[in-house]
Amino acid sequence: MTMPPLLEVQDLTCRFGGLVALDRVSFAVQPGEIFGLIGPNGAGKTTLFNLISGVTTPTAGSVLWRGAPITGLPPHRLNRLGLARTFQNLRLFDGLSVLENLLVALQRRPRSGALAGLLASPSHQQAERQRQETAWQLLEELGLSRLAEREAGTLAYGDRRRLEMARALATGPQVLLLDEPAAGLNPSEKDDLCQLIAALRQRHQLTVMIIEHHVPLLMRLCDRMAVLDFGVRIALGSPEQVRRDPKVIEAYLGSGSTQSGSGGAAP
Amino acid sequence: MIDNGLLVQMLIGALLGVSVYLPLAAGQLSLATPAFYAVGGTLAALLSTTWPALGAGADGSFPLASFLLELLLGGLLAGALALLVGRLVLRLQGIYLAIATIALVEIVRVAILNLPFTGGAIGIFGIPQPFPTAAGYLLPALGLLALAGWVCQRLEVMPLGRAMAAIRNDELAARCMGIDTTRVKLTAFVLSAVLAGSTGALAAHFLNTWNARQGSFDTAVTMLAFVILGGSRSWLGPVLGGLLLTALPELLRPVGDVRLVLFGLVILLGPSVFPQGLITPGLLERLGRLGERAEREPQT
Repeated sequence: MTMPPLLEVQDLTCRFGGLVALDRVSFAVQPGEIFGLIGPNGAGKTTLFNLISGVTTPTAGSVLWRGAPITGLPPHRLNRLGLARTFQNLRLFDGLSVLENLLVALQRRPRSGALAGLLASPSHQQAERQRQETAWQLLEELGLSRLAEREAGTLAYGDRRRLEMARALATGPQVLLLDEPAAGLNPSEKDDLCQLIAALRQRHQLTVMIIEHHVPLLMRLCDRMAVLDFGVRIALGSPEQVRRDPKVIEAYLGSGSTQSGSGGAAP
Repeated sequence: MIDNGLLVQMLIGALLGVSVYLPLAAGQLSLATPAFYAVGGTLAALLSTTWPALGAGADGSFPLASFLLELLLGGLLAGALALLVGRLVLRLQGIYLAIATIALVEIVRVAILNLPFTGGAIGIFGIPQPFPTAAGYLLPALGLLALAGWVCQRLEVMPLGRAMAAIRNDELAARCMGIDTTRVKLTAFVLSAVLAGSTGALAAHFLNTWNARQGSFDTAVTMLAFVILGGSRSWLGPVLGGLLLTALPELLRPVGDVRLVLFGLVILLGPSVFPQGLITPGLLERLGRLGERAEREPQT
């Protein structure tokens, strides 16, 4: 018997009124891989993430988790299954400290009851110590520990991006969905981020799905990738395969440019 | 100038302020507190005047144990009502939730006004007294406030309280971090109702009479003013706001009719001078540091 893929989408379709944001998109993500998702603006990448993470309900099609359907489950249930995400336009808990942002995400690792919490019982204190410890480890890992007490809203942009990743990791995911983690970073920060993602996959045994506009970064990082254009999956395969795909080159550079070759999609 | 009666009223104000604060701490602007206050008060008024087993004396006295039982029952009934209503109204957000909860306040008010056993417009009077003087109510009111403050304080270092803060900051992000936001919001709503219900039971005995006017839209606005003036970032804010704004109309009594104008000015100017309220996280931090310094100084 073969293992079902960790995460699979089948004929996923999403319509907003007359607009077809995603049109029968299918692919499967294998455990441990870094799976890239590229496509021009408005191709439906973030919509796809929203469908997988339960923020939006699909019009048709299904999402499978280890072969079992999870379509339409609310976000918190999907998160508890082991699916965490970051947001393209950063949605930190700005009024809370950096440490508290992680403690919010850690509230089920381990769980502790409300009554135990009210009475500050030993079991609650034990759980709280464990949560604090994990939080500090993650802060250390992502280079945020000196900012632990700062309010998240006051952080520099690059730090905010890393805090988003730390917060998603704090929920203990098996699959991490990263929505444009390198947006707005300078080239050297992008390199650091690339190494960080690879390192995090190792240490946390993650499967990563990543949306990114910076194609060279994805080509280096990903095991496989899918390309979306106007809601349709136009290519799927290794970075090498995708790079040579004439449909991809056309989507990025327009028709008639296949001969000229070098460009954003074919560096 | 401040007698025991006013002190009890101030404490009741503080309790109701905390009741409005609790859902607000989870980002939910609910004005349902007067409805739950009215439910708790009406229950206590009815029970103590009609149920002989509670032991109301012919001279208007009332056993302390029965009084405490009523505080509990008032809280439980209000909490049960909140559990039922909350599932429906908490689907609404922002101003729509506020409107729906105002409707709840009106429904409860009209129900109490028209039900055959709640005394109509006159209400229920001659509610028996567990204490001979107003001073007796100070202790239970303080006790209730201490309990509420302790719960709020503990919440800040508990998963539930952190989840509330997260929802207040960004509900969608909170859901994506595994927080069952429906459940957390409902819990905050029920906690708020329990506190308002118990406060109502206490107030019914303290005021001696109870009628439908106790929980109306006006009171909802006044209670919201407690939180806005005091500050909504810490439970101490609504406590201070409730104490001050309840005392103010009485303290201003010597200036005559101008007092209502002055009271209005405070509500108007308070938020513009202190947009975050009187008690802000920054202020608490400064106080904390002062406290630490005071502790250290004797040693040096």
